[in-house]
Amino acid sequence: MNANNTYVVETTALTKRFGARVAVDKVDLRIPAGSVFGYLGPNGAGKTTLIRMLLGLTSISSGSVRILGLPMPSGRAEALGRVGAIVEEPRFHRYLSGRENLHVAAAAREPEAHVRIDGALARVGLSKRADEKVSAYSLGMRQRLGVARALLGDPELLILDEPMNGLDPAGMEEFRFMIRGLVAEGRTVVLSSHLLDEVEKTADAIAIVDQGRIVVQGSIDELTGRAATVIVATADDRRAQALLAGYGAVPVDGGLRVPIADDNASAAINRLLVEAGLDVFRLEPERATLERRFLEITSRLEEAA
Amino acid sequence: MTALAPSIPFRRPRLVSAEVLKLRKRRGLVATAGLLTVVAILITYAILISLHAANPAHHGPAGGITNLGHTLWLLNALGSVAAILIGATAGAGDLGAGVFRELVVTGRSRSSLFAARIPGGLAVVVAFVGSAYALSAVASVAFAGSLAAPSTSLLVTGGLWVLLMTGFWFAVALGLSSFLGSRTTPIAVLLPFHLALSPILIGIAVLGSGRDALPMAAGDNLLPHAVSSVAAATKDGPGMAALTSVLVLVLGLWVVVSLAVGLWRTKTRDA
Repeated sequence: MNANNTYVVETTALTKRFGARVAVDKVDLRIPAGSVFGYLGPNGAGKTTLIRMLLGLTSISSGSVRILGLPMPSGRAEALGRVGAIVEEPRFHRYLSGRENLHVAAAAREPEAHVRIDGALARVGLSKRADEKVSAYSLGMRQRLGVARALLGDPELLILDEPMNGLDPAGMEEFRFMIRGLVAEGRTVVLSSHLLDEVEKTADAIAIVDQGRIVVQGSIDELTGRAATVIVATADDRRAQALLAGYGAVPVDGGLRVPIADDNASAAINRLLVEAGLDVFRLEPERATLERRFLEITSRLEEAA
Repeated sequence: MTALAPSIPFRRPRLVSAEVLKLRKRRGLVATAGLLTVVAILITYAILISLHAANPAHHGPAGGITNLGHTLWLLNALGSVAAILIGATAGAGDLGAGVFRELVVTGRSRSSLFAARIPGGLAVVVAFVGSAYALSAVASVAFAGSLAAPSTSLLVTGGLWVLLMTGFWFAVALGLSSFLGSRTTPIAVLLPFHLALSPILIGIAVLGSGRDALPMAAGDNLLPHAVSSVAAATKDGPGMAALTSVLVLVLGLWVVVSLAVGLWRTKTRDA
């Protein structure tokens, strides 16, 4: 990748129409290099269609795409040679073994791809079962084999569409660890997923798409925002509520919820309670989760529609 | 992360090897192709040898030119069926498994993905048909007995002819299945056309020289003369005379059109 390129994916007014229906509507997307980028949206929002357009799997109605600084479709071969991808559920020849399927995929890449097969299988924990037929694999194993296939090209950019489908909790944790490891090696990972909690734990930045349009994009911190409330638990919550009446404290399960205007308010609340002789057991900022922000944004759009 | 020069040329043989791997690992396809070619010839010569051994006065030797002609006819008919099965599988196998999309995202051109299917599938066709014909050629010489053994020239031209015809049906099936994105539809169309409809059409005299446009007619007329009378006796229609160049053109046109529509659809379809 050219060192001057800040973004590994740049789209300008990217649009895809299926007849009268607009599946992707003038999308301007910027995915920063060296990060995990979450691409979120409800079912039918146009996530997979956009990924398919980025990868040249379906034609573009209008707009432009640059991948790793190269214009598409003219730079397609060079750009995609440096990209690994899983689109929807990874598919394989089920009568071939996992290793044979990787050989088939490696044949379409540069010669060095064959050398990377063993390493890719080890990385996703499939070395011991690589010579079994894919028809005997679970969905989770096929997902991991899909990631191994995506790694064959030693990609600078990985585009993974719903990669955590079929993974158990331990598998998800391993997957998060692997993703962070890939980013630490200087790669960029784009995750398209409906598992908001998993994306929030993994991604550095996200875009939320709905009805073919990107409605918001930015870092996780920007989108979830700073804490607007704190949860306070003391030795005497009734007395604490009286002391914090001016803040609008209300009782909740396990303490009091207190709205705060800024971070200084937390310190002021703590001081007030301690100076009044109350032991403070808990003073915890309450941040909006990505799930809550996602639902706020998508439900606002539904109401507006 | 290793930086690879983007200009590294892709070498065709690896992609072709992958095509061969995909075909040879299909047990059902390999078993069927083997039955239709090698096993069919083995059974044929086993019967001919047994008959001759049981009653030499009534049944001549199993080898010789006449029986080579019979086995050429048999291998053309059954080998073409095997070639159609292999061609249809090579053309639509990746699509049917959903793997075509996975290959397209590597950045490899769709044209090269399509092109690799041709030598890859042909290698499998040639392996089966060539082996079966080699058995037939050896048997026709080894068991010629009192009959004239086929000359080297006849053995070579006979082999080239059967490879030409099976290669032809492979290419047509490959193009059609790549065009339709289906394995079963081309098989359902080509097998009845080749085995049932073509002999009927060739037998309809009113169609005149129009029958020369049929692959079966062109193929039969390209059969080496020394065995063509044997083969002609096994089919219903009259032999039709046409220039070799015209016959090759007829077959070439079928192949070019089939492969062209297959390539076009491979390049334009949503993956």
